[in-house]
Amino acid sequence: MKKALAILMVACLAVPAFAQSGGTIKLGGTWPLGDITGKQGSMAAQQAVDEINAAGGVLGRKLELIVIDDELKADKGAAAVEKLVTVDGVDALIGGMASGVALGQIPAMKKYGKIVIATGAASYKVEEALGPDANWYFHLHPWDYNQGASYAQGWDEIQKKYPAVKIRKIFLAYEEGAFGKSSFDATKVLFGADKRYSIDGASFKSAALGGGDYGAVLEAAKEFKPDLFLWAGYDADALPMLEQAKAMKFTPGIYLGAPPGWPVDFGASKLSDNVMLYGMWAPSINDVSKVSKAFYNGFVAKYKVEPATYFAPLSYSAVYIYADAVKRAGTTETAAVIKALEATKYASPLGETITFTPSNIIKHQGIKNQKILQWQNGRQEVIWPFEAATAKPVYPFPKWK
Amino acid sequence: MKIRGAYIAAAVAAAIMIAFPAFLGAYPLNVARSVMTYMALAVSWDMLLRSGQISFGIAGLFGLGSYASILAVLRGGMDPLLSIAFAALVAGLVAFALGFAILRLRAMYFSITTLALMEIFRIIMHNLHDFSGGPEGVVLPEVIFGGDASALYWLCLGGLAVTIGASWYFERSKLRLALTAIRNDETSARSNGIDIFKYLLVAFVVTSTLQGMMGAIQVQSYGFTTPDTAFDANFTLLPLAMALLGGIHSTIGPMAGAVLLGIASEWLKLKIPYGHLVVYGVIIIIVILFMPNGLFGLARKAIRKAGGAGSPGSASNGSDAEEGAR
Repeated sequence: MKKALAILMVACLAVPAFAQSGGTIKLGGTWPLGDITGKQGSMAAQQAVDEINAAGGVLGRKLELIVIDDELKADKGAAAVEKLVTVDGVDALIGGMASGVALGQIPAMKKYGKIVIATGAASYKVEEALGPDANWYFHLHPWDYNQGASYAQGWDEIQKKYPAVKIRKIFLAYEEGAFGKSSFDATKVLFGADKRYSIDGASFKSAALGGGDYGAVLEAAKEFKPDLFLWAGYDADALPMLEQAKAMKFTPGIYLGAPPGWPVDFGASKLSDNVMLYGMWAPSINDVSKVSKAFYNGFVAKYKVEPATYFAPLSYSAVYIYADAVKRAGTTETAAVIKALEATKYASPLGETITFTPSNIIKHQGIKNQKILQWQNGRQEVIWPFEAATAKPVYPFPKWK
Repeated sequence: MKIRGAYIAAAVAAAIMIAFPAFLGAYPLNVARSVMTYMALAVSWDMLLRSGQISFGIAGLFGLGSYASILAVLRGGMDPLLSIAFAALVAGLVAFALGFAILRLRAMYFSITTLALMEIFRIIMHNLHDFSGGPEGVVLPEVIFGGDASALYWLCLGGLAVTIGASWYFERSKLRLALTAIRNDETSARSNGIDIFKYLLVAFVVTSTLQGMMGAIQVQSYGFTTPDTAFDANFTLLPLAMALLGGIHSTIGPMAGAVLLGIASEWLKLKIPYGHLVVYGVIIIIVILFMPNGLFGLARKAIRKAGGAGSPGSASNGSDAEEGAR
């Protein structure tokens, strides 16, 4: 009898404790899993979830990540949001890469008003579609105009610090889609506004979309004699464009690429040496950031592969930012977590502390700067911002042998 | 009696589909919309195929309808619902004008030209920056019906119903006889007094109108479009695969293929998040290699075998699936 009473008492005490725990805290992630950005982004988010759970979870509850492939399609991305919210009952949404998918997801996101910590979608069109009232939307990735502004600032500072670097003429080879075109428009506005720089450009069909012949665009660039040659395309364009540039003996002062991700083995190619790039993270940041090193080591230990895209540390950060906000809010209730997220100060593996400030339209913009890096001896080195720099720039881009 | 049974079955199926929002959540309704969109495209593609003309221009007309609808709302202030009818009309008129040139072509020349149309429409929208938004596309301030899941579902179902109705009419009217005759032997059809160009033009304009209408429904449901989204090659390739899986030269075949591939795609994605597209691709390859008549053709073959091969009635009552195989 006594034993039965004891069991009953334990059960009575356990029920409210269990009710308070509320099961797991669910995060719903959508990424393009067939693409390295989405694949490694989702893997890094799972890594963060596992680390947080191993450290005791959040508010005594475990985190759970449910991942759905958006297949880089708007309708699939929207269906994924519907499932995550209405079937899985997630507490927040994270992830994303392509702006086209985000545009398809926004009507569903607006309908449910769940917290979103977006790791992708750089197009200003996404910000326009969100409007100023989307206070549940926290955008980590810089908008296209943020990126352009940070490049302009970066090159100004580099020229000041290294007087040998002189940029007057900029040529942009851009893939013919939305990504390339918006890059060209932003470059024209930001670099061409005060007439300090002379800008020209031409489009090409990316190898990722069935193209791969850069002869015309490289000829146009060669004729323009740019100090800075920049290409905005995809990882599939990186090596073939370099090979064709070499064949044409095209050697601008600076050869710079701005794809969302680089081929995994790009650094192993001799051609990669001294190519500059825009990005948010590189393994070399491990030299100057303990958080980056911890993230990198954890990723390699868990998956036996090196993170090859900044979407990995960005997605890892998204999970930590949400978990930290829930911890500070003491609840997963949306309004309280939004308030806590607004007070975020997260020392991220990207080598900078993330806070949320207003951008042109939305209230919660995270990162606003990209970095300028350079491939040196098979490694991406940070050239700018100087506080995160891991090497000095090699300038000018050496003549082809 | 047999026909009455088919009508009753169709009415019951329609009633169930109309009632879906009463017992399905937003996610299944979203998946259903996707399946219905591809189903309508697969059926409309098959309608023209019944004349022997293989079109690769589905995505081109779908995208054209998307842009016509969204630009009519944004630039012309048109009512979103009315813009769907307008977009269908635009796609139909463009097809009518183009038909005079491209319907003189046959076999792969026609197919390649329709494929080129898709690219031409995409490039035009890509370069009309001020009007079409260029590569970055255009965004509506609000999706139709405020994004209500049930209303969006019924809108898409309406588009599908119009498509199935048109396909049913193609199957039941003298159009079927004319298109089948053109497919089987054009010279013989002409010598029998069939105005080949007229019937091909009717089929091309009607199917293009339907494809443009579905593009408009899609764009109003998601509230944005870009050239890469609207003219995505998947809007050509997936309906083809669905029609081939289900069985060509009928209405029911492409419908069955769309349901199977549409649901398989979503199910595989949830079960195998990393690598589902590989499995999906393998399924499509296997089906095309080993089931050229599709599931519908296979089922008909099995029924005929079970009912005794060579029964005269079984052949005469059938659809054109077997004829296509011959």
